[in-house]
Amino acid sequence: MKRLAAIVALASIVTATACGTTGTTDTAQQGGGVYTTIDGSKQINASAPINPFNPVGSVFSGYNGMALAWPKNDPTDPNQFYPAIARSWSMSPDRSEVVIHLQPDARWSDGTPVTSEDVRVSIGLAYTQGGTAYALDPKAAGAAADIQVVDSKTIRVTQGANRSSTFLANLLSTVVVPAHVFGKLLPADFWQTLKVAQHGQGEAAEKAKNQITGLAEKVIAFNPGHDVSAGPFVLERVNPGAALLKRNPYFYARQNIAPAKVKILNYTGNEQIWNYLIAGRLDNAPFTSVPTAVMNRIRGAQGSKVVKGYSPVAVSLAFNQSHKPYDNVHVRRAMAYLIDRAQVTRIASPEGGTPAATTSGIHAKAARAWLGDAFDTLEQYRVNAAKADAELKAAGMTKRGGRWTLPDGSPWKVRIHVPASFSDWVAAGKSISSQLSDHGIDASVVTAADYTLYLGELADGKYDLGFWLIGLGPSPYNIFQRLFGQANGWQMFGGRLRHVAPGTEGNWMGGPEKVDAGAAGTVDPGELTSRLNYASHDEQQRIVGVLAKVANEQLPVVQLWDYVNTQFVNTSRYTAFPPDDDESLRLSSGVWMQLGMIRKAEKGQA
Amino acid sequence: MTVIVNPEGAISPEAAPAGTTRATLRRNFWRGVWRVLRRKPSRMAGVVIVALFAVMGVAGPLLYPAQLPRDDNALYAPPSLAHPFGTDFEGTDVLALVVTGARYVLLTGLATAVITVALGTLIGLVAGFHRGRWDTLLMRLTDMNLAIPGLPLLLVLSTVWKFESPLEMGLVLGVLGWGGIARAVRSQTLSLRERGFIEAARGLGLPTRHIIGRELLPGMAPYIAMNMLIAVTGAVYAQVGLFFLGVLPFESNNWGVMLNLAVFNGGALTTPAALPYLLAPLIAILLLTLGIVLIVDAMDEIFNPRLREE
Repeated sequence: MKRLAAIVALASIVTATACGTTGTTDTAQQGGGVYTTIDGSKQINASAPINPFNPVGSVFSGYNGMALAWPKNDPTDPNQFYPAIARSWSMSPDRSEVVIHLQPDARWSDGTPVTSEDVRVSIGLAYTQGGTAYALDPKAAGAAADIQVVDSKTIRVTQGANRSSTFLANLLSTVVVPAHVFGKLLPADFWQTLKVAQHGQGEAAEKAKNQITGLAEKVIAFNPGHDVSAGPFVLERVNPGAALLKRNPYFYARQNIAPAKVKILNYTGNEQIWNYLIAGRLDNAPFTSVPTAVMNRIRGAQGSKVVKGYSPVAVSLAFNQSHKPYDNVHVRRAMAYLIDRAQVTRIASPEGGTPAATTSGIHAKAARAWLGDAFDTLEQYRVNAAKADAELKAAGMTKRGGRWTLPDGSPWKVRIHVPASFSDWVAAGKSISSQLSDHGIDASVVTAADYTLYLGELADGKYDLGFWLIGLGPSPYNIFQRLFGQANGWQMFGGRLRHVAPGTEGNWMGGPEKVDAGAAGTVDPGELTSRLNYASHDEQQRIVGVLAKVANEQLPVVQLWDYVNTQFVNTSRYTAFPPDDDESLRLSSGVWMQLGMIRKAEKGQA
Repeated sequence: MTVIVNPEGAISPEAAPAGTTRATLRRNFWRGVWRVLRRKPSRMAGVVIVALFAVMGVAGPLLYPAQLPRDDNALYAPPSLAHPFGTDFEGTDVLALVVTGARYVLLTGLATAVITVALGTLIGLVAGFHRGRWDTLLMRLTDMNLAIPGLPLLLVLSTVWKFESPLEMGLVLGVLGWGGIARAVRSQTLSLRERGFIEAARGLGLPTRHIIGRELLPGMAPYIAMNMLIAVTGAVYAQVGLFFLGVLPFESNNWGVMLNLAVFNGGALTTPAALPYLLAPLIAILLLTLGIVLIVDAMDEIFNPRLREE
């Protein structure tokens, strides 16, 4: 059901960048035809404005929505990007300054050139929405301090004093909009107000901040009336069933774009996408949760192919350590020994997941890259009832009449919380509860009506155990934020890290502030995670090793399965899709086209 | 004066001593019921179906272990002798899920029906008999009840109330659903209160409680009984629908949850693999509704002499 959107939304926080360029192919290909796909990040809203700042706006990433660059699907390096509006970029060794060179031939769909002023206005609008690189607090890690137009095709952005290794990545992810359409949203004195907000003091600074954040709603609601796109396509029309886009004749790499039009179909649930795929209507569909029987039918459709690749997302069962008995590490370990992760994955996500090799907080592929052989030294928590019994006894639990009871003799009731709309999580929760019940633990699944309610109740500390997405790479900081970040009590406030008490300010995981990390001594996992933001690569590698070990031994979560990015393509009408494990696999078809992929199939070719 | 619904319509209360008369009437009533049921095999089928579900509700969970067995290697297994409706996503027998899940569904249905009928009848009788201010007040209350959008309200309620017991579920569905019966009972009361036997009861100075409970109510009993049975089917649809939407607590053997998982997790509307998992609870709901409708058909004839064919 809604899992697709949630995964995409959460995984989208992984962004990255790198110095370097990748040229586009020069192969001219004017194949024509209509390329049909869906947008996995949102459903179509025909009345929404053509505005990328609007969450449901009719701007589709890679088609009529363009960023400075597109992130590569690298397991460890967040700074790997494909060029888009930015042709190339460079960062000073101390990360203080990034210089971006725009595509010399980039033009908007009305023929106007794309200039540095467009990027500057886009950054200004991004400030109204907030975000890591565009935080109004100059002490925030990775916040931009100054934006300087060098010439019409070059822009320089300076990072604030609290430097982050993800600054470049966040900067290159900036969505670019035309200044001659969106520029009027920024007041004439906007940049002066921004300076006061960032560097001023007292009431004047607060007033300036309020002025800027007060623009957010106006920016989101803005409707330009017609689409002005710098991407390969421009919106022709949109209705509740589909959006139709036509080729942008001014696109800088127009020779790479084969289809004459793109149709983005709307959907209300995964079942609709399955039916589209079985009918062979889609040329491509992004990651969608699919049962095995449905997958077999999709594979049977003419021209249908499945492309699989790395997805920097894993799912876990998280403990609220401020609730007894989950404050006891022996209880958490016992549960890890009782959960058959392979069986859970087979039941819940047979086509879109691989059972977690262990709990490290990182997707196995990224974990191997970061940890090397050390990954194999982590405790694997294979199913072992005897070890589970020993752990439960160590926690003071007793077994009476075949049922485990708490140390004080009262019944132990395990309640596993999941959002009802995520049917794969519901099935996984049921499988876990069955396995625990087999071992004499009174376990059951409790559903929340929807994902928003679920996250709210989770943050309020109402749950003992709940499903939680982790490993959201490639940035190691983003990965461990999920375990040792705000949800576990560590908050960045005014550029300073602090730990808040369990049950307050969103600290629902309730883990200890300091833990014994063996050879590394007593460590503060949140502080180490924070250091990942600005540490050198070698230092990051050392910290990741420590944090993975802490996660493995302390088990704030039990890692269940690592997601596999399962893409569906159909070669009946178009070919040259990215292969398995391609670095562009998590990007939209529009980006694939920009990169010179996707060609019109010759007759009889499928 | 006491008016007893008398299917035979031949014996006068004054013709024999009270105890004997009542016993005879009761005996004749059940003979009449038996005759009506035998007249059409479909009515017997209805009784058998409802009895079967009642047995499932009472004894079903006792037939299986508390933790239903699973076959890890038979996920979504096709129907077989061992599993007549196949297995679910974790290899549990679907028939066992339907049987053990019947208790929640039936208890909810029963609780809803009792609350719907009790509230609706009481409010309708009082409003219709007293008229005036009582009528105005109670009917405005009824209008409000009828105007409440039940499903959206339940969706909102489910965010704060987990409905872990079938009685809680039945209470909410019942409190939301009495408006229609109250309106109908009031109309009948307004009609009956002008009849001679009510006039006579008033003339004799009998108390209001007696007139409403012993004079008016028995005349409407057949209608109320039929509404009660129909309310059961309404409650079954409502709660299965809510479980299907995933807004109520997860119970793997709940029929609505089974439908939800069959569609959204098993792809039952797309491939045949999970179709038995979808069909089993659907057939159970269909059979239960059919059984109730067939019994209502029989009740109609039992309580309405004009419909009798002999």
